[in-house]
Order: sequence, then C-alpha cells, then structure tokens
Amino acid sequence: MTEHGFEEVLSPHLYFDREHNIEAAKILPGEYYATGRDMVLVTVLGSCVCACIRDRTSGIGGMNHFMLPESGQDRSNPLGESARYGTYAMEILINQLLKMGAKRSNFEAKVFGGASVLRGFTVNNVGERNAEFVQQFLKTEKITIAAQDLLNIFPRKVYYFPATGLVRVKNLKQVHNDTIISREAEYNTRLHYSKLEGDVELFG
Amino acid sequence: MAKTILAIDDSTSIRQMVAFTLKSAGYSVIEAADGQEGLAKANANAGAINLVLTDQNMPVMDGLTLIKTLRGLPQFVTIPILMLTTESSDAMKMQGKAAGATGWLVKPFDPHKLLEVVKKVIG
Repeated sequence: MTEHGFEEVLSPHLYFDREHNIEAAKILPGEYYATGRDMVLVTVLGSCVCACIRDRTSGIGGMNHFMLPESGQDRSNPLGESARYGTYAMEILINQLLKMGAKRSNFEAKVFGGASVLRGFTVNNVGERNAEFVQQFLKTEKITIAAQDLLNIFPRKVYYFPATGLVRVKNLKQVHNDTIISREAEYNTRLHYSKLEGDVELFG
Repeated sequence: MAKTILAIDDSTSIRQMVAFTLKSAGYSVIEAADGQEGLAKANANAGAINLVLTDQNMPVMDGLTLIKTLRGLPQFVTIPILMLTTESSDAMKMQGKAAGATGWLVKPFDPHKLLEVVKKVIG
C-alpha cells in the first residue's frame, strides 16, 4: 500500500452517538465513510463540502468531506489539478458504495458546506468553488441532488442517516470556530504540498 | 492512421478527462461506461483497437472481469490493457497482473503521465 498525503481515507472514528442513540462515524477533512448499517455519519464543515450519497433502494450510503486544492493557475481548467482531485474524492466514495453492493442507477445525493469561513482564503472564494464543483460533478454524473445547503458564512454540523436519507444540519453560529478553520487549513496545506497523482506501474 | 484506444469508466467526468487527454495527443477514442459495454465495443471494433484503458469498480462488469474475458478472446490476447483505478493496494495490482493487465495507473491521474505511459505501450 502506498502512502500519499492526498489520499482519501476511510474514517477510523467510530463511536456511539447518545443523542441519536445510534452507531456513528465522524468524518474529518480528507476522509469518507460508507455503510450498509443503520448509522449516523457526522461531519463539521467550514469551506469544505461533503457529498452524502445513498442507494435509495438498499439504503447503502456514505459521506465524504473534501475541498479542492488551491492550485492557483489551473482553477478553471477542467483537466487541472483541482478538478482531478475533486473527481477523485467523489469517485472513491462512489466506488466504496458500489463495492458494498449499491447501484449507481439508484443513487441520490445531498450536498452541504462551502461556507466562507477560511480567513485569508476568502478572496479566492474557496467555499464557492467547492460548492460549484460538487454540484457540477453530480450533474455530469446524472446523480440527482435531493437536498442541499451550501455557501453562506456559518460552519455547519451535518448528521446524515444513510439508511433513510434523513439529514440534520446545524448552523454553528455561536461556536468558537478555530478548530474547524485550523483543521481545514491543515488539510489545505497537506493538499498543497502533495503531488496529486497516483502511482504508475508497468508489469514486465 | 490514428491509433485507437477503448476507454472504459463508469464516471462520465473521468471519461471526459481521459478522452480529452488522449484525443489531444492524436489518439482516437472509443468510450464505454462499464465492463459489459466495453466488451461489446471491443468485439464490435476488434482489429481496430490498439489499447484498452479500463477502470476497476464499475456497475455490471468490473475491470478485472473484463480483462480476464478479453484475454480469452483470440483478437485480444496481445492487445495492451491498462488499468486506471482508485485501487492502489499491491494485492489488487497482483490480481490485475494475474488477470493479464499490462500496467496499473492509480487515480488521480496526471494527464502527462497517462500520455507518457500510453506512448510507451503503443507508441
């Protein structure tokens, strides 16, 4: 197994959510989780976005949490690093769902995040770019967006129940946001310094 | 005459990126959205295809099954087949090699590197 700074990883943060009385997985920036079990997937978003995708028939579903890397000049290039990384972050979740038996033709998506909260990044409208990307990707893939709560200025806490497709979103207006901002900034830095490409091997 | 590549991926976004990259280097591209459609297009265009580039995780038929099936067809015994996938484990790569893959590219792909590999394999 190769180790890269950019690789999306399956969330290892499982716990029991007392509020909803259900098994939960916490998804941090650069992570994703997919499940066929009755669970809640929880994440806190600033300028990052998360896509919640489920198979409407089987209830197999998952969530990712990502942002496009700040790669400067190639921002609007459909083949640029940003678009390629975003596509990868979406595909790795979709692949995990397919591997678990979900059917692409039954997919519905709910998308959240893309707020303007990253100080110092607001000029570049990081949140807006992330929101636009996830909407455009799902349109291209013909995956219906059943609900969305994007942009604005407040961080959000999202609870997603893939078995039913239900979502609870809390706007974090009063919360001290430094943790969210520093986590996203650290993720942004990690992406910035990674070479965003996978390994190549030719079999002799 | 332009060399022809059969590109198979269930993601429209990826197919668009891959096709754009290959066409910009002068290759002709046939697209398919899953292994079964890829197999049908491979059969329909056998003799004209110089390279198969396939994803692994797809509905209906996955990439490894497609490779094994193609390797059983006389027209595709020696045609290079590259895997382009999010799967990065050595175990998966070994399965690919055993199935008859020529090479393994892990996503996200770099367009220049993709062309470099394609050129190396089919010129």
